[in-house]
Amino acid sequence: MTGPLPGAAPPPAAPPTRAPPPAAPPSRTARPAPLGKTIGHVGLALTVAFAGLALGAGYWQVVRSPDLTADPRNPLVIAAARNVVRGLIVDRDGKTLASNKRDPDTGQPYRVYSDDAFSGVIGYASRQFGTAGLEDTFNAELTGVSNGNPIGDALRKFELDPYDPQKLTLSISSRLQQAAIAGLGDDRGAVVMLDPTTGEVLVLASTPTFDNGAVANPATAEKAFAALRTDKSHPLLNRATQGQYVPGSVFKIVTAIAGLGSGRITPATTFPSQPKAEADGLVVSGFRIHEHPGVPSRSFDLIDATEWSSNIWYALAGLRTGGANLADFAGRMGIGGAIDFDLPTASSQVSGGGSGPGGFADDVELANASYGQAKVLVTPLQMALVASTVANGGVLMRPHLVVATTGRGGTQRVGPSELSRVISPDDAAAIAEAMQGAVESSIGRQFTTGAKVAGVPTAGKSGTAELGGTGAPHSWFIGFAPVDHPRIAIAVIVERGGRGGARAAPLAGDLMTMFFRLNR
Amino acid sequence: MTAAAPGLPAILGPIRPRPRWRETRLLLIVAGAVIVGSVSLALTSQVADPGESHGLSLANPVHVAVYLGLLAIAHVILILSGRRMDEVLLPTAGMLGGISLLLMERLPQTQVVQSIGPWRLGLGDVQLAWLILSFGLATALAITVRSDSWLRLYKYTWAAAGVALLLATFVFGDDINGQRLSLTIGPVSGQPAELLKVILVVFLAGYLSENRPLLVEESTRVGPIALPPLPFLAPMAAMWAIALGIVVMQRDLGAALLFFTVFLCLLYIATGRVGYVVVGVLLFLAGAYLMYLIVPTVQTRVDIWADPFKDPSGSGYQIVQSLFAFGRGGLLGTGLGAGLPTVDGNLPIPAVHTDFPLAALGEELGLVGVTAILGLFLVLIERGLRIAASAADEFRSLLAAGLALVIGTQAFIIAAGNLKLIPLTGITLPFISYGGSSLLLNGIIIGFLLALSDRGVEPPPPPKPRGRLARLTGRVSRLETPAAGRAPIPPSPARRPDADR
Repeated sequence: MTGPLPGAAPPPAAPPTRAPPPAAPPSRTARPAPLGKTIGHVGLALTVAFAGLALGAGYWQVVRSPDLTADPRNPLVIAAARNVVRGLIVDRDGKTLASNKRDPDTGQPYRVYSDDAFSGVIGYASRQFGTAGLEDTFNAELTGVSNGNPIGDALRKFELDPYDPQKLTLSISSRLQQAAIAGLGDDRGAVVMLDPTTGEVLVLASTPTFDNGAVANPATAEKAFAALRTDKSHPLLNRATQGQYVPGSVFKIVTAIAGLGSGRITPATTFPSQPKAEADGLVVSGFRIHEHPGVPSRSFDLIDATEWSSNIWYALAGLRTGGANLADFAGRMGIGGAIDFDLPTASSQVSGGGSGPGGFADDVELANASYGQAKVLVTPLQMALVASTVANGGVLMRPHLVVATTGRGGTQRVGPSELSRVISPDDAAAIAEAMQGAVESSIGRQFTTGAKVAGVPTAGKSGTAELGGTGAPHSWFIGFAPVDHPRIAIAVIVERGGRGGARAAPLAGDLMTMFFRLNR
Repeated sequence: MTAAAPGLPAILGPIRPRPRWRETRLLLIVAGAVIVGSVSLALTSQVADPGESHGLSLANPVHVAVYLGLLAIAHVILILSGRRMDEVLLPTAGMLGGISLLLMERLPQTQVVQSIGPWRLGLGDVQLAWLILSFGLATALAITVRSDSWLRLYKYTWAAAGVALLLATFVFGDDINGQRLSLTIGPVSGQPAELLKVILVVFLAGYLSENRPLLVEESTRVGPIALPPLPFLAPMAAMWAIALGIVVMQRDLGAALLFFTVFLCLLYIATGRVGYVVVGVLLFLAGAYLMYLIVPTVQTRVDIWADPFKDPSGSGYQIVQSLFAFGRGGLLGTGLGAGLPTVDGNLPIPAVHTDFPLAALGEELGLVGVTAILGLFLVLIERGLRIAASAADEFRSLLAAGLALVIGTQAFIIAAGNLKLIPLTGITLPFISYGGSSLLLNGIIIGFLLALSDRGVEPPPPPKPRGRLARLTGRVSRLETPAAGRAPIPPSPARRPDADR
């Protein structure tokens, strides 16, 4: 509407009018230009404004639609949580872990769970107390509000029943999970087992467990939840994903990955000052680092240092690698950030966030961190990913619990996906060899008693995390087997369980043995 | 319009029907869309309540029949009037009204209940009644308004009446939700601010068309900067003060924003001077900041807008629920009647029928539906501006543009508020929101626009037809009355409109 109306174009030869004739300059009485042009401008501005509205609508309705729809505060989700029969949750063999019952009085459905052993993984879905665990992260799928497939979601709305609760198939192996819980016994701790080539998590155990069925049952929820909240042992904390622990010597594998990955050390690297320091201690910036007792004063390479679990060699390796490299390679495996996982995770850290490279305050902190003390804090899942990275030739796969969602529209599988290549296959193989030595050599066996799977080449590293003060240290083990074509990676921590070889290593050995017995 | 068409009874007077085929075709599409929507709504409720009979039917056949009949009657009256009026406005507004009717039928009828004698009217019934009045008013204005002198001559009287209404509302009005917007006189209750929107446009069109040459040519130079003429900035300052006054007195941010935006747009249309817009926007920003500092309502609104998820169950509740609704709709929507999930029987958005109809439609019709509705508004705006651009004189031009801008700006403000693009202000979505005052205002606007679009009526004697005006009047005369033997005024070769700029 801006231009002249069609069919009314003036003769092209007409002279321009506003070209000021010198005799008649514009005066007060001169009529201004017609309004068509400025009206056109306003029309254009409004068109742009409305295009902006459409873009805004597109942002909320397409870009943000999935997370808005699945938001727990969304009335759709709240209504679904009350009325919809949630999808089943089954383990990797199809065994049911979570199903539903109906309240005889109200007729409303509620959850029942097969075994407390899965409470940390599955969490709970309670009418009174909301959701936790996989019941929370996959709430939208389990209630059928979303099926994780945008096109399927759009078409689902045309069906008679818009709710399509999905069945979740987990990678969890019930028998291994139950064995891990039983193995942890009355101790607090965690076990994570995963397939290093696919990232499928077979065990995600955290003790103490809790009775999630009591929280889900409307009749008992109030009392059960109040008791859980005040329980000093924090059973609602999933230690496998959210427990932050001092790692001790299992962290040496991270130092080895950073050292080899950055090229600062090789498997053959030795340090001239190391043999003497084994006996006298290593002085770093005036601070003396001591070796644990019984380590001989001879020159070590990577394999020796790993078998003997030499704090001195790893402190020197860490100093040579540098804080920036250590933090960088740790970060590639997820340390320092949230892990992309099906459950919420706590982040791990290599340093206390000081001003030096990698967040280390000084060389003393770096040297101590290199063998897993100082300010290093890790989750069991994170250490399982470290073992898994070495096992999988230096490639970290995305860990996941849900391998398939099944609804009316069929099954959607969650395949393996690569998170990052951390180190080269050669470097990974060198570390794997050292870890095999730590489990199978005559020296290593002293520290990792019981970790060896009979008839299967096994690699691993134990850890004894000193916590300061009195009381037993945390008992750690990470490892994988078989060494050449790994099928299972594991991380075990037993809080206050003593030396790594005392508690965690034998439990890991038992669980890996069981895995190979179940999956011949 | 000089003689009655042959064959018509003389009692109907000088009637010369003129077919409006384009309007007929568009209205048929509107009827089809409304019927399909109603069938879809019926199907959805059958699914929700399987006890009812199955098969295709309309959700509320009486409503649909009455509404479509209303549009048909309006159409026939416009045909009979014989005026050469715009043929797109009525179907566009009719489509929006049809969407509104379907939405109000779909919402719980208990949202609004009015008892008139033995009848209890629910939300859908009341909205249909207002739609009837609105389109009736539009049609009546379209065929009766033939002269605009009563508007242009008494512009100050109109403005005074508008301000008086506003003051009366402030003094005698009823407080609803902390806002004093509605006024009850005897049995009639309404929101005068709605009427003020039209009155203001009439006043501005009169003022600006009268003073246009001065506003365009004059400058006040401050050093090297050429400012608009200061004396003529007085209306801008007055407008600014009125807008702020509305905010302070009535807590009606939406109306203030609307008045100021329409004013700035008209000022720009009249003068083409970007300087005015810049000064106006600066004034607006200064005023907005001032209001933010001193008026708690404004502060709350802005804070909610900045982060509604901070308090999703308290102050941010409505907007968060609006965004949830848009999100649930996705690309294609849930279908009419299948959205807005209730918890314990409560609608997720309590004010859905007045302030958030777009969110409900976004959920049930999806992004596709929202885009279509925005497109319908854009069509209304552009038709209005087209009428403005080809109007016979500057007053009519500014009046038509201003009326179109009232609808367009209002739709933008509330849609952008629903979508969290700007802070939310309580203002109605034209033709769709529930509300009598708003619907009547929209009817008045469409009626005036239709009347202004009539190219068959001579404007009051123009001072000196030239330029675009000459071309337009020439064209109109040529098109309208060649048979009457009047010589068409040829486009003046002396003034080439394009070269004017």
